Amino acid sequence: MNRIWSWAALTFGLVYFALPLIGMAVFSLKMRRGVYSFDAYTKVLGDPRFQETFAYSTVMALFTIAFGVLLVVPTAYWVRLKLPGLRPYIEFLTLMPLVIPAIVIVFGYIRLFNTSSWLPLTGTAMGTNLLLMFGYTTLALPYMYRAVDTGLRTIDVATLTEAAQSLGAGWTTILAKVILPNVLVAVLSGAFLTFAIVIGEFTMAALLNRPAFGPYLQVLGANRAYEPAALAVISFAITWVCMGLIQLITRFSKHTKAAR
Amino acid sequence: MAFLEIEHLEKSFGPTKVVKNFNLNIEKGEFISLLGPSGCGKTTVLRMVAGFETPTSGSIRIDGEDVVGLKPNRRNIGMMFQAYALFPNLTVAQNVAFGLKVAGVDKTESARRVTEMLELIGLPELGNRYPFQLSGGQQQRVALARALAVQPRVLLLDEPLSALDAKIRVSLREEMRAIQQRLGITTIFVTHDQEEALSMSDRVVVMHQGIADQIGTPFEIYNRPATKFVANFVGTLNTIEGEVMDAATGRIRIDGAEVTLGRAVPSGKITLAARPEMISLGAYPGRETQVKGTINDVHFLGSVIRIRARVGGSVLAFDTFNSSDAPPPKVGEEVTLSLAGRDLLVVGA
Repeated sequence: MNRIWSWAALTFGLVYFALPLIGMAVFSLKMRRGVYSFDAYTKVLGDPRFQETFAYSTVMALFTIAFGVLLVVPTAYWVRLKLPGLRPYIEFLTLMPLVIPAIVIVFGYIRLFNTSSWLPLTGTAMGTNLLLMFGYTTLALPYMYRAVDTGLRTIDVATLTEAAQSLGAGWTTILAKVILPNVLVAVLSGAFLTFAIVIGEFTMAALLNRPAFGPYLQVLGANRAYEPAALAVISFAITWVCMGLIQLITRFSKHTKAAR
Repeated sequence: MAFLEIEHLEKSFGPTKVVKNFNLNIEKGEFISLLGPSGCGKTTVLRMVAGFETPTSGSIRIDGEDVVGLKPNRRNIGMMFQAYALFPNLTVAQNVAFGLKVAGVDKTESARRVTEMLELIGLPELGNRYPFQLSGGQQQRVALARALAVQPRVLLLDEPLSALDAKIRVSLREEMRAIQQRLGITTIFVTHDQEEALSMSDRVVVMHQGIADQIGTPFEIYNRPATKFVANFVGTLNTIEGEVMDAATGRIRIDGAEVTLGRAVPSGKITLAARPEMISLGAYPGRETQVKGTINDVHFLGSVIRIRARVGGSVLAFDTFNSSDAPPPKVGEEVTLSLAGRDLLVVGA
């Protein structure tokens, strides 16, 4: 009897998640009347606005990942090594972006860094891009911090640090040659999640008026029928590819094999 | 002037003083063990020498240089840890070469040194393996090679054998001692295992509650313990309560018998101590005092049989060698035990 309920729950879940996706994918293939075709995809991929916004968001995602790694890895490492008592507070802090809506964060940024403030970042395109990158880093912080912290939990941070110190290594060498390579899989997991978040993010990019992929998706969705469905499928594909890459890297990472 | 001088070293964590007025001089090439129970401060002393803890007061000098203000990575001290601490992302050869790379040693010299070290530890063919592909014993050997590759001034061993199984421990400790003697490297070894400390060391420091209770050769520590703690902690010890009859000659009455130590002792009640090997079953030449007892239990350990017998109010443990034509006594059997007064230790505070 229990087994029947389990199967029923599983089937319901699968239908609930998969049916809209299947429907959307089928709909995106129906642009040409009466036949299935990839017209919507061809049109979307051929649109120069798509290429521009996607390229912009990709570059922003890469900078966000780089900044996130530079910020989170040393912080999580230091907290684990020297300030373990602060861990609950840091974890709470990193969860804040899940509680505070992106719109509140971006309004705070605009208020703090507008052209009449002491640091007028919104005064230039470069400054606004920088602000957007900080915003994306904040949004991705819960995922990046957790991924890195979980990675650090799998290694004996204190002993490895002391071993490296006894061999003459300074902090930079320890972080770059010992800690980072040993949490690389975790960092990459965080990086792919960050990439997926940045590619689909709308609120911050729209309010800071940057030519990102999220606002482009919204504009297209408001004015076309089949192309938004095709774009949504592409976005899902990107997210799934990112998740697949995380799995692939974990599987082929040589020195983590022992841990499994 | 000794090669490594530790003077008036103290360390407090909050209100708790874990190392108290610790003094130790170590000669170049000496192998010193810090022996003591958990929480006695031995690891803290080692970590202060390594630079991972800052002393509350006192000085540590290596080859005349005060190293207290130096960062751990500037002390040129090799260290082995209980948890191996090999870098999981690097191969064996890369692990051994790590310190050389940090020091900026050129690639040819580094490769030569790595080969030399891997041969020294007897694992020349495992250079391309990752740590997870090695056994515990192999990992600890690689850790030794890595620590030695940078030619450190002092080698610190923080219970490196504790995580290994009994058989590997014995073979590895012999190997480590042989390598240490061959290279003549000054070594401090922290352990709570008295057998390791006694078998490997030139001198042993027995630590108790942050204090060095006794510093001496393994022979001195075992045979002439300075305090009651050392006597009890190192080896098995039988304690016998007695009453002094003649303080000048050391004539003492113990459970129905008399022993003469042949040296002056304080008068009144006294605690004597005897190692198991100082007591014989039956009459034994040179052991003039005989006491009657009842066998309490018998433990067959292979080549040696450990027997416990009740004598008056005390239980005495002693060993006899196994012999195929002389079976051990049975529990409850009445026996005579022999001991010599001159062998007995007077246990102080």
